[in-house]
Amino acid sequence: MSSFSQEEIEEFKVEAQELMDMSEKSLLALDQGGEFKTCFDSIFRGLHNLKGGAGMMEFLELQAHTHELETIFMSFKEKTSIPKNYINFFLRGIDAARSILEGGKVEFDFTVKDEALSEAKAEEVAPVKEEVKKEETKVSLVTPEPVEALVEKASSGYSIPDEVMAEFLAEVEEIIESISQKLQKIENKNYDRELVDNLYRDVHSLKGSAYLFSFHKMGDIAHAMESSLEGVRNGTHLPNERLLDCLFKSLRVLEALAGKMKKKECDEAFAKVVPVVVKALAFAAEKLEKVEVPVTEEPALTEAMVNELADLIEEGEALKEETPKIEEAVMSIPAQTSVVKEKETEGLSSIRVPVALLDNLMTLMGEMVLVRNQVLQYSNRTEDLEFSSMSKRLNVVTSEIQEEMMKTRMQPIGNVLEKFNRVVRDLSHDLKKNINLVIQGAETELDKSLLEAVKDPLTHIVRNSCDHGIELPEVRKQCGKNDTGTIIIKSYHEGGQVVIEITDDGKGLHKDQLIKKAIEKGIINQAQAAGLTDKEAYDLIFAPGFSTAAQITNVSGRGVGMDVVRTNIEKIGGTVELSGKAGAGTSIKIKIPLTLAIVPALIVKCGKGTFAIPQVKIEELVRVDPESENKIEMLHGAPVFRLRGDILPLVDLNNVLGLQDGTESYKDKVSNIAILNAETFSFGVIVDEIQDTVDIVVKPLNRLLKSLQVYAGATILGDGSISLIFDVVGISKLAQLGQAKDKAAKVEEDKQRKLNDMQELLLISLNSPTKHALALNYVQRLEEFEEKEIEYSGDQRAIRYRGNILPLVSVNEQLGYELNRERKETVAVVVIERAGKLFGVEVNEILDTFSTSIELKEPIKKHHGIFGNINTDEELIVVIDPYEVISRAFDLEDMDPKFDVKEAAKSIALGDKSGTILLVEDTVYFRKAIKAVLEKRGYTVVLAQDGQEALEILNKENGIDLIVSDIEMPRMNGFQMAKEIRKHPAYAKIPMLAVSSKADKDYRREGMNSGFDMYLEKLKPEVLLAAISELWKEERKAA
Amino acid sequence: MSGVENQAHKVEQLTTFYVGHELFGIEVMKVQEVTGNPHVVPVPLAPEFVRGLVNLRGQIATAVGLSELFAQKKNENKKEEMSVVCKSEGNLISLVVDSIGDVVEVDRHKFEKTPDTVPQTLRRFVKGVYKMDGVLLSVLDIETIFKELSPISEASGRN
Repeated sequence: MSSFSQEEIEEFKVEAQELMDMSEKSLLALDQGGEFKTCFDSIFRGLHNLKGGAGMMEFLELQAHTHELETIFMSFKEKTSIPKNYINFFLRGIDAARSILEGGKVEFDFTVKDEALSEAKAEEVAPVKEEVKKEETKVSLVTPEPVEALVEKASSGYSIPDEVMAEFLAEVEEIIESISQKLQKIENKNYDRELVDNLYRDVHSLKGSAYLFSFHKMGDIAHAMESSLEGVRNGTHLPNERLLDCLFKSLRVLEALAGKMKKKECDEAFAKVVPVVVKALAFAAEKLEKVEVPVTEEPALTEAMVNELADLIEEGEALKEETPKIEEAVMSIPAQTSVVKEKETEGLSSIRVPVALLDNLMTLMGEMVLVRNQVLQYSNRTEDLEFSSMSKRLNVVTSEIQEEMMKTRMQPIGNVLEKFNRVVRDLSHDLKKNINLVIQGAETELDKSLLEAVKDPLTHIVRNSCDHGIELPEVRKQCGKNDTGTIIIKSYHEGGQVVIEITDDGKGLHKDQLIKKAIEKGIINQAQAAGLTDKEAYDLIFAPGFSTAAQITNVSGRGVGMDVVRTNIEKIGGTVELSGKAGAGTSIKIKIPLTLAIVPALIVKCGKGTFAIPQVKIEELVRVDPESENKIEMLHGAPVFRLRGDILPLVDLNNVLGLQDGTESYKDKVSNIAILNAETFSFGVIVDEIQDTVDIVVKPLNRLLKSLQVYAGATILGDGSISLIFDVVGISKLAQLGQAKDKAAKVEEDKQRKLNDMQELLLISLNSPTKHALALNYVQRLEEFEEKEIEYSGDQRAIRYRGNILPLVSVNEQLGYELNRERKETVAVVVIERAGKLFGVEVNEILDTFSTSIELKEPIKKHHGIFGNINTDEELIVVIDPYEVISRAFDLEDMDPKFDVKEAAKSIALGDKSGTILLVEDTVYFRKAIKAVLEKRGYTVVLAQDGQEALEILNKENGIDLIVSDIEMPRMNGFQMAKEIRKHPAYAKIPMLAVSSKADKDYRREGMNSGFDMYLEKLKPEVLLAAISELWKEERKAA
Repeated sequence: MSGVENQAHKVEQLTTFYVGHELFGIEVMKVQEVTGNPHVVPVPLAPEFVRGLVNLRGQIATAVGLSELFAQKKNENKKEEMSVVCKSEGNLISLVVDSIGDVVEVDRHKFEKTPDTVPQTLRRFVKGVYKMDGVLLSVLDIETIFKELSPISEASGRN
């Protein structure tokens, strides 16, 4: 081994890895039912080249190992498939080869392999032998035939000068390669006229060259190939499998022939093979015709057929002799050149370069950009036109080079993802599960260093999914799932980041189990567990020392998995999100920056320095001036800012960085706040000036400066000045933030508040001293129309609106207020959708929106179109029910089923049933209103904000008697929810009632199809109650 | 170091400079370049001896004020300062000195350990002293300065 430099050995190792990867990939493809021929060839090539390389580099052990593998592998040469146990065997063989390559001592047993193997071998080898025998008989049939110029060829071969010979052989190899590629395309049914023409040309030029150099054997085969393709090329026939197979085989013979010539040997065995090939080709071509006329089915290659063939071959031979050879040789020249060109581009399509070289280039590139900037600045000052145009050109070219440079480090993520095919395959085998891996977006590109960094975390996740996620086939069947589980890895670009999603359809995460486990492991205590949201519970999986596996398997479950995943991803500036549904799978979303080297960043000024903040960390920018509504306030000496009702802690960078002493008054000056995201919470930094967003090249800092924790690196800006890059988390630590409530808590708080409090109302003015309002949820749009545009149909006012007629209804009229005496020039209209149609509700003026937590009270006096009142501190606001206003104005056909409301009331009054109702509704207003109505009648109401939550509640709580649900909801809508619920045996019969403002026919139909028992339009309390009582009646009847 | 040593076992070449009134030297081979007073971007919160960052043709170097590092008083006449740029393990540091002296050849026989009376704060950066005619030349231990910039506590890699 000493005869090779370390560098050469390293290079060989890289190449060997690639070869093994190739073989492995093809083995897996074969296992997945890939085309045998292609896979076989590529596996063989991989093994063979590996053997060759190993021999050359004096890796004798590896050479012996691969040789053994290759030999066994070759026994499948004539087969059409490789049994699974053999595939496993070869995979293991490749693994062993890897260890050998890394210097490990491997005891690999080539004979025992697998228990099933020996029998399989016997079974497999037998047909091989048979086939060989068949081949022999065929050969014997044709040998007597007079084949000219077999011996003569050898002599002529030697007479050719070596260089010319080498050139010829190189060309032959190129053409063979090119033919093989084209055949593969045809095989994959991916071809067109042009391809077939090119193929034909290739074969033709091969023939030409071969005859030119008097290599008749080769020429004969090429000729036969050409003839067999005739029909296809003329467009009268379609290529079939047999023909392709024959062509591929011929190619292999050609390759072998070329190999022999290279070694200046003349193997007489070929003399026998050539006629067989020629014959087979002719036969295949003949068969083609028959396929075209679809009468005969494929008969086996019987003795009779072979006899028949012999005649055909004779004919072929006769034909060939007539062929004018010189002409062919001349014709072949232009075709040849085109082939060579094609080959050239393919050959040069990739080249291996050390990463260090690329890094150096990047650095130099940076310098070049700086010089460019200086030149540009200088050229702006001079009058020299020529210089100025030159510098502009320099500018363009430099930018382009920079762009291309960036690309050199990018690699498709498929390089890593495709390795998982093997991982999943092996695991599913070990775990006795059926798992299908789907990879999407393999072409998404990512910086190489990042690619390396995500490899391990991804492996962890995929292994976890296989082990914990996907259930055993029996379990899956019991759950009504397909017994084959699917893991989907999807990657794509989004907002300057690369997103990788790993989704499985396994058993998902069970919140309670997670919590139980976490308590057992002492990660949280009982008290903490009680207040956990779903998301927090899911986050437990990332806690160090947490492992969900009931058993520790050798696959995963050592409790080092997910926390390592998170740390590693966060180390490279990425994030991990986990979501899932109990019983329906888990989804993990990883977001990582495109490249570490170049990041978009916001440049800010503070004191005298410029600093860069990575764009991904920035949530928003706020500018506060003395006129702003919200100002920076001081809370016990600490600056805070009220952002949309929340108190946001602020960090004054000037103070924290010691650029300026003393606290400053923020009152009378303009302040810029950048709101930053420190993983679990947000905070704002006060900076002096916000400049631009630029792409910066991150340069590392020495450890001393890094240990300050405030800087993530430094960069050189376009003007050559240096700017420090902030480490956002570090700054928050420096300012001792983070103990404050974190994001999850805030979300929870928001949710709580939403549940209890805020309703959003639209304030309008009418001809009444009291303010009126309507729930914002009803409102589709706010419009202002010109009075003169309004048209009349009878006395019905209407306006053309988005290609439709929008009927208008005056609230003043409906509520019995005084009508406007004079028409104003413009009319304020609230557009509301009802039963799939739009209506315009005319009001005097649209005042404002406001949110309030004050309870809606029943109206003082019941009036149509009035929903109730809200008593604020200052005034009373009348809340209008716009649906009722509309139905009254237009005598709308009520689409809701008719109930005898009185009857219903009676039965309720009789103590019909005081059950528990699960109310699923995302809008606060309706949730409150419906809840109030239901509770008044003595029902217990459980609230859920969306379908997802409803399912969780159903899983957790027993005793839900009926479900009232909205349709349009975030996360999971009502239709999906209903379907899910109906799937569950315990809830197959629970009465479900849809209540939605979307209540046209289509919606109703879909609602009923998804499993709702009834579909009502929002919001008529009596109808709702009647419907509930009706449903219960039915249920009782059914019971 | 080897390059210089094997040249003539007896002689060592040093780049010399002044910090305050003291003469210091660094082996010639360790010095990448000597520049004038470049524009230094200060790094807030960094120790005082870190003057800031310098852009050296696209590479970022950390400027270390030797007078601050040696715990001497702050330098007043900054205008005449010069920088000696050294490289180690990919890190660049730019040593800010008061003025540059000659490149001298010194006889190894004249080397002596740093006397104990030299204050500890300074002594750890000095390998030893050459007795020159009329002046003592302290040889800087550049590695300790680099170490100063890479605290071991932060010497972390992947886990």
